[in-house]
Amino acid sequence: MEFLLYFGDVFTPFNFMLLLIGTVGGLILGATPGLSPTMAVALLIPFTFQLEPTQGLILLGAAYTSTVAGGAVSAILLKIPGAPANIATTLDGHTMAQKGKGAQALQLSFLASAVGGIFGVLLLIFLTPLLAKWALAFGPSHLFWLAILGVTIIGSLDSSSVVKGLLSGCIGLWLATIGFDDIMGAQRFIFHSSVSGGINIIPALIGLFAIPQVITMFAKGRTPFDAEVLSVERHPISKAFKEVFSRVRALTIGTITGSIIGLIPGVGGQIAGLVAYDQSRKMSPERDKFGTGHSEGVIAAESANNAMVGPSLVPLLTLSIPGSPTAAVLLGGLLIHGIFPGSDLFDNHPDVAWTFINSMLIGQILMCVFGLYIAGLAARVAQVPNAVMAAVVLGLAVFGSYSVQNSMGDVYIMAALGTGMYFLERFGLSAAPLVLGLILGPIAEANFVQGSMIANATSSIGSYFFTGTLNLLLIAIVVASVGYSIWMELRSRRYITKDDAVAKEEALS
Amino acid sequence: MTDLPRNQHILASGIVAAVGVWVAYVSYTAEPAAAFLFPRIISTVFVLLALWTFGKALLGRTTVGNGLTAEAMKNIAPGLIVALIFVFWAAEALGFYTASTITFFILLSLYDPAPHGKVKTWVKRLIITAGYLAVMYGLFGMLLNVFTPREIFF
Amino acid sequence: MKNLIAAASIALMGLTGAVSADGHENFPERPIMLMVSYGAGGATDFQARIVTMTAGNEDALGMPIAIINKPGAGGRVGWNWFATQAEADGYTLGAYNIPHFIAQSIEGGVEYGADSFEPIANWGADPAVFVVAADSEFNSMQDVVDYAMANPGGLTFSGAGLFVGHHIAALQLEKAAGVKLAYIPNNAGGAGAMKAVIAGEVLGGVNNLSDAFRARDAGNVKILGVFDNERNEFLPDVPTMKEQGFDIDNASVNFRGVMVPKGTPQPIIDKLAETVPTMFENGRVAGRMKAGGSPMHIMTRDEVIEMWKAREETLRELLAGL
Repeated sequence: MEFLLYFGDVFTPFNFMLLLIGTVGGLILGATPGLSPTMAVALLIPFTFQLEPTQGLILLGAAYTSTVAGGAVSAILLKIPGAPANIATTLDGHTMAQKGKGAQALQLSFLASAVGGIFGVLLLIFLTPLLAKWALAFGPSHLFWLAILGVTIIGSLDSSSVVKGLLSGCIGLWLATIGFDDIMGAQRFIFHSSVSGGINIIPALIGLFAIPQVITMFAKGRTPFDAEVLSVERHPISKAFKEVFSRVRALTIGTITGSIIGLIPGVGGQIAGLVAYDQSRKMSPERDKFGTGHSEGVIAAESANNAMVGPSLVPLLTLSIPGSPTAAVLLGGLLIHGIFPGSDLFDNHPDVAWTFINSMLIGQILMCVFGLYIAGLAARVAQVPNAVMAAVVLGLAVFGSYSVQNSMGDVYIMAALGTGMYFLERFGLSAAPLVLGLILGPIAEANFVQGSMIANATSSIGSYFFTGTLNLLLIAIVVASVGYSIWMELRSRRYITKDDAVAKEEALS
Repeated sequence: MTDLPRNQHILASGIVAAVGVWVAYVSYTAEPAAAFLFPRIISTVFVLLALWTFGKALLGRTTVGNGLTAEAMKNIAPGLIVALIFVFWAAEALGFYTASTITFFILLSLYDPAPHGKVKTWVKRLIITAGYLAVMYGLFGMLLNVFTPREIFF
Repeated sequence: MKNLIAAASIALMGLTGAVSADGHENFPERPIMLMVSYGAGGATDFQARIVTMTAGNEDALGMPIAIINKPGAGGRVGWNWFATQAEADGYTLGAYNIPHFIAQSIEGGVEYGADSFEPIANWGADPAVFVVAADSEFNSMQDVVDYAMANPGGLTFSGAGLFVGHHIAALQLEKAAGVKLAYIPNNAGGAGAMKAVIAGEVLGGVNNLSDAFRARDAGNVKILGVFDNERNEFLPDVPTMKEQGFDIDNASVNFRGVMVPKGTPQPIIDKLAETVPTMFENGRVAGRMKAGGSPMHIMTRDEVIEMWKAREETLRELLAGL
């Protein structure tokens, strides 16, 4: 209960103002394509030079929580996920926005984010020592199986054909191998100088999601205004509250999956949303509605990606090991003030540690309040005429992917992947499994290589990868996941295209 | 519908299959072999799936994907060409802000359904373009301090 | 309209070209960027942000320095970019890590070497140390080597990658002790390598002194030896490898500093070489670096040129057997 002692520090006028700035700024930065939470936090570090350690961390903590949630705004309204964490949000969120339910989707996403986020931070407060052990339990072999588990959901993700879903995933896995390989440093598949640095995930994400959107808008041609402008449904906040809490299954699955996966160093944030989305679809009686603008999809994805925020800091705060890129940046923010995370932090600077954690808790609530406030307004983005929208998204995509590492090569990759993706989408391949492959490829490969090196030096590969409770448990989940997908595929050949699926959904409602 | 989608499917899956074969070829021949172990596994699966899809397209049994209609292609072409010129040439040659403003204006004029004949239409388009430039510059130039090539123009 | 703008842009380009051609007295006239070839939050990135934070002061460069991260493949991605694509106009600086980039250029497969860059100044020297988990039965380097003697190739220990400082240290240890060890490069850099040690995935690890110092403070690891010529002021109680009977010098010490691409005009190099070391000496910088547990070691351009040369010779010798 020690954290309660330091709640007062969050509410001193100056600190609270910083919290507000961090939250609002974070939402804006998060909603900007190309600015992942990591980038946003790194951008804010220089400002903390001038502040006290506690104040600096309040700013960073608030920014971290709200950039993750802010990513949902562009995911829902523009179908550009702000960060890998928001990919799953696009699947149902953007479909909802297209139907004029953008306000509802945004409200649901902010509420779900807050629920997941608060749960995550509470875990951080109460279970840190326990969680730290759990975070360390994942060695190379377990991370390898976890990545494979991710690969198995590729087939069933946002694609109406398992074969084409897997094919998209394979393309993604291959794209991830381009460039220097991370361990040996060998050059692979460098066919043009702009890919010599490999394919950076953020520009790829922008390209794969935003550019097909732009081209789809081109394809509509000079359609007259009226036919295009959607009426954006007003959606009372009370209804959103009711809906979020009536979708207990999706909320629970999202929150728990996000918390567990967020904890695992190196994998966490990027796939939490997708895994939660996939799980809640498999367990939902209304699974056919997923992908057609179903609220459960948004709730599961967003509660998961914010639930991961708290646990993802456990390895950093207890063991001084940054478990995610964002945590690494936060570590820098702490070190600049001479504070070492680990036992030193909680023993000698409890005010800093607990004020930081409390600010994330309050930050979640503030983020939710602001989010709900802007949801109705922001949803009007759907009313922007096609021509303007296409041009704006194109501009944002170019600037956003350039700003990641000031590289023209990234912009070329973004455009090339995006254009290619549009045409592939017309033939049944889809972007989400491709991106998942792109994320999981390096994790699977590096952990396989490291694991087999350790195995060769100590025991044998077989016993290293196939024995131990955690390994066996993960393998069992993988087998179950594959089996389930095959069974589903055999049981019902799903509808023909996404367009048909949308049509079907419209007929149903 | 006519045979158009089927031929398109053959073309598209053919290209994907060709990429897959190239990837597999490189994976199995390039050195150092140790670094290509993982690509070998991926490319094998990749090729199998791509050939499967290609085979299905050849037999005309593709069920997923609508392909592209001639009308859609006609609509896409001008915008896509302008966008690609922007990305691959103008952005670097003219500077980000200049190029993206010009592109914005051209795209708006191409796809805005308002009648081209009226002066009011053009004034409106220019105002929207100016607003776009202001927002982009405010966000990326001033707030985020992104160094863009040839930023000197603004 | 497009033609007009194109014409105007050409005219302007000519204009700016003319300005930069006549002398460089006014350098720098706009903000400068510093490329760091490791990710945000890593030790190099963190230190680069601190040592450049006073760049905007009038007594320093008078213009701020922005950090651009180009991580990947142990730094190869960033340095390749820096050697081939960065503009040699003095507005694009790069952070170097010795022995990393020299070792990588000797190994081959990259487009840079020591000749591709012009050093400006060095800000830090971070020796490698040998760490084991806090509950490990090893208490000295001798214990480690004894174990390795008994289990040839069975002593697993982590490091940040291949052909980086940690790997060099590992090779030196193998050579000096005459044993075969199993070096496990980690794809997540020093932080990942440290996690592997604490979690018990490997029996030991080579890591940065600054990170190990913090991990020991947190009670997670024991530090058994320093891969340097002398003991470090942060760890006065930890003996060097030489003290423990292994003939290992400072070839693996991770020197960090600032450089520019070859071809940068000499007046600009001179100006930078003059101002940058004094910028590093700023009291605020030193305070922050000390607080963060990062050892500083300021060297001027001439000293760095010497150091690069010496390092290249040692590394060629060491890597020749591979």
